[in-house]
Amino acid sequence: MENAIEIRNLTKRFGKNTAVANLDLSIPTGSIFAFLGPNGAGKTTTIKTVMNIMTPTSGSAKILDVDSQKLSPKELMQIGYVSENHDLPLWMTVKQFLAYCKTMYPQWDDQFCQRLLKQFDLPLNKKLRDLSRGMKMKAVLVSSLAYHPKLLILDEPFSGLDPLVRQEFIDGILEITGNREWTIFISSHDIDEVERLADWVGIIDKGHFKVAEKAESLHQRFKKIEFTSDITPAAMPTIPAEWLSFQHKGRAVCFIDSAYEEPASKKKICELFPEASNITVSTLSLKEIFLTLSKQFKMMNL
Amino acid sequence: MLNFSVTFKSGIPIYEQVIYAVKKALVSGQLKAGDPFPSVRELSKELRINPNTVQKIIANLVQEKILETRPGIGSIISKRTPATLEKKQNLLDTEIEHLVVEAKQLSIKKSEIWEALQKHWEKG
Repeated sequence: MENAIEIRNLTKRFGKNTAVANLDLSIPTGSIFAFLGPNGAGKTTTIKTVMNIMTPTSGSAKILDVDSQKLSPKELMQIGYVSENHDLPLWMTVKQFLAYCKTMYPQWDDQFCQRLLKQFDLPLNKKLRDLSRGMKMKAVLVSSLAYHPKLLILDEPFSGLDPLVRQEFIDGILEITGNREWTIFISSHDIDEVERLADWVGIIDKGHFKVAEKAESLHQRFKKIEFTSDITPAAMPTIPAEWLSFQHKGRAVCFIDSAYEEPASKKKICELFPEASNITVSTLSLKEIFLTLSKQFKMMNL
Repeated sequence: MLNFSVTFKSGIPIYEQVIYAVKKALVSGQLKAGDPFPSVRELSKELRINPNTVQKIIANLVQEKILETRPGIGSIISKRTPATLEKKQNLLDTEIEHLVVEAKQLSIKKSEIWEALQKHWEKG
């Protein structure tokens, strides 16, 4: 199976509001895919539609090769789903909760479950309602990992977690990569949380999909360019569309090239600014790339 | 714990940073020929990074002949082989030029660079 999730032309409307519009997205098997976007961008709606918690207005989603609307226990047994707004049986203790989950998964791995509980330091005899937010999320993660799912879907797993719990959480998530087949789909509004983990990045804004690309290729094509030029504002050439956040002050020129290539990009600079000197090219963090793109989307929407 | 140290800085791809850390550990003697190198899972868990990235790091280190893979055992640090002329040339021309440009721009004196170079040389 090439893609663990395949979304085709998916639209979800609530009355007159369109939460997700004509979304196309493929999540390759064996990847950690970061699904990024500001709050309210349509991330949770997309995930809920994929998980068949919501029905799409039009279009379709395939998950582990099965149409989302035809998901059966057979597929659900292969999927781990952790969301920030899970409805939990709060009256149960951690022990009862896990015993309850276990009945639904024949391949439940008790030994692995015990190891996770120890690693997460979860109090077995406390009721879920008495646990902190971080502890609750950890209990849900244990219940979603203990049956070695092929696909792990995490909806904003880190929001509101303190840094230590966040680290433990990442350790837990990475456990799944020991399985023979695995894919991790993780939504977040904060790229810092997933920068080190993601090898694929997708950005959604106002229900529209903007980018889906390998993190490596984003790093390669996005570069910060700085150079010195005596050009006068009157003689300023037309700036190519791929040069984002173009700024010019005094003799300093700075922009972000979104299609950087060696040596073509430097040649282009020299063509447009024949007297350019001290050209420097530097790498950008995923966060800087994300912020540049977000600014760009905002400008296009205006 | 890993048998070499990695300190992450933001803005530089993880892949490059780990490869640099391995090279630094070789120079400082933290890693020696014959030492076992962590598996994909170990490295991914310890550094909390994507296992696919680790796979690429290991492939690159094998290609650079820094690591050898031993079937059934995993990867080990290989005996140092003499660097190619091309690699030496790249360091002496490109990297040193870069250093000189940056230094001149910051008005660092030649003697200061020399001193710093010697200090790092002795340390390595």
